[in-house]
Amino acid sequence: MSKDLPDRTENGLYLYGVSLGASNGDQLSEKDLKLKGLLGGGIFTLASRGLTAVVQECDSSFSTEDPKRVSEWVLIHQSVVDAAWEKFETIIPFGFGTVIVSKEGRSARENLIDWLAREGESLKRKLEKLKGRAEYGIQISWNPELMVPRVTKNDVMIQRLKEEICSKAPGTAYLLKQRLENLLSKRLEIAADAYFKEFYQKLSGCVEQVRVEKVRKEEAPLQMLMNLSCLTEKRNLLNLSAELDKLSKIEGFFVRFTGPWPPYSFVSV
Amino acid sequence: MEPTRTGRATLVDLLDRILDKGLILDADLIISLAGVPLIAVSLYAAIAGVETMARYGMMKELIQAK
Repeated sequence: MSKDLPDRTENGLYLYGVSLGASNGDQLSEKDLKLKGLLGGGIFTLASRGLTAVVQECDSSFSTEDPKRVSEWVLIHQSVVDAAWEKFETIIPFGFGTVIVSKEGRSARENLIDWLAREGESLKRKLEKLKGRAEYGIQISWNPELMVPRVTKNDVMIQRLKEEICSKAPGTAYLLKQRLENLLSKRLEIAADAYFKEFYQKLSGCVEQVRVEKVRKEEAPLQMLMNLSCLTEKRNLLNLSAELDKLSKIEGFFVRFTGPWPPYSFVSV
Repeated sequence: MEPTRTGRATLVDLLDRILDKGLILDADLIISLAGVPLIAVSLYAAIAGVETMARYGMMKELIQAK
């Protein structure tokens, strides 16, 4: 730990999140919160105009090349955001590694308080909208190998091509097989598009906001069809759960449902 | 279907959010931790150290299932 410990000549403030909370002066100290942050630093709050920033002191330039250390930091970041989310009920979480620094003769604290004052109204509106809500991740994948028979069941062109392959000499059959594979992948693409639209429509009707995320690589033979971040009331998950239950029962589809997460995907300005 | 916060795939979901999202300040008052984006790439690849996850109570189910 010592080698990563910064010298504290120019302290910055690592910012975990902003919540609705105490008025000026009503701040929580490290002793009040009893929470440890990055590098063991104590977590405290700075309050201004009804907003509470959850922070810790840290150097403005600490870094490491050790992935294990970074994974530790990421998890600590999340555990602090989680604890603050629980304590203050609503939070605008910051991405990993946001450090407010001192600049032009103003300390990091002064800069943070200035920023809270400047952005206060917009932050409060945002927080009001996030009250009682949480973010959930939904990923739907399919197994194309299981889908091919279903997608091509009544496809005359594909049936004819298959028959032709059986009756032709090896050279011609090889070329026809390639054509068949191209055709199959096109059919799957069209089917994926149709399923995406159908699922999106059903799921977006059960939540308040949806973001479509990039699909991730899955372990073969699975392919991810859709990756969504959804914002909805924590107490109102019944419809979404029921819809996901239905989707997960369709043969060849796999559903992953994660959360509740602090609303990381729904706080951009 | 109930949402979950445990498991290896869930961890990727968490990393997606913490590393790429959250409110971003456009002010020049902030800095981002040096070198972190590069390390994050290897973190995704390795899905971090299982031991570290265990220490923070994550992935408990996965480890117990082994």
